[in-house]
Amino acid sequence: MARMKFICDAERCIECNGCTTACKNEHEIPWGVNRRRLVTVNDGVPGERSISVACMHCSDAPCMAVCPVDCFYRTEDQIVLHDKDLCIGCGYCFYACPFGAPQYPQAGAFGLRGKMDKCTFCAGGPEENHSVEEFRKYGRNRIAEGKLPACAEMCSTKALLAGDAAVITTIYKTRVVTRGKGDQIWGWAMAYGGSDNLKDLPGGGA
Amino acid sequence: MRTAMLAAIGLALGACHEIPQDAPKPYAGKEDTKAYAGDNFKGDRAAFEKALTARAQAQNEYIRMPIDHDSH
Repeated sequence: MARMKFICDAERCIECNGCTTACKNEHEIPWGVNRRRLVTVNDGVPGERSISVACMHCSDAPCMAVCPVDCFYRTEDQIVLHDKDLCIGCGYCFYACPFGAPQYPQAGAFGLRGKMDKCTFCAGGPEENHSVEEFRKYGRNRIAEGKLPACAEMCSTKALLAGDAAVITTIYKTRVVTRGKGDQIWGWAMAYGGSDNLKDLPGGGA
Repeated sequence: MRTAMLAAIGLALGACHEIPQDAPKPYAGKEDTKAYAGDNFKGDRAAFEKALTARAQAQNEYIRMPIDHDSH
């Protein structure tokens, strides 16, 4: 059984915002709602790094734990989704989420919050697959078409990887082992002890 | 005296245990259709997983050419 996850490779992300644009376009997201966005650390300073952030479809999702109306569920592929018909827009999930993933459309003139909206891993929601209702509430269902999220598939440098955790971690590992940083990973020995030499690590020669 | 002391320690430490608060909660919403239930896969989960794995491998440019570890 697959366990769907995102990985963003900060060494590759060039802050092009292609992922956010792809997401907006794919699901026709309204103004003010950002299911995916880019965060840049040390912007403008040499060595700045950017990562693309959205719902990480946590294995132990805090949003699910705090929701007072229990509108969250997990698909067979471990994608965290929610039922908008049940959501009351209370904002508890926003406070609980460490990634700021839950978004709220402005529902009225006085800052009233609408029902929560978030990344669906392009898997739609609890409506008939590919129905008008599903698209209107949750966006397009690419997963049911055998496709991966638009943000990752659109990523020009393939910094953003999406898919089964076992598959994408293998891709990422191949990258880290292969790309030209010599054999040293900065900080490995400091964080985990042992050797800084990648080839000495389990699977390092892969 | 010793028994009373042990009982006091037991009571004091009893407050330190953590009550699990993250027990799985029931989902109260609508049942979702399976991703592979539609026209594309007709309920074939294996074909669905195969398609997604193939798609995920399209993100791996290293499989397009052989990797030479010794050159790094």
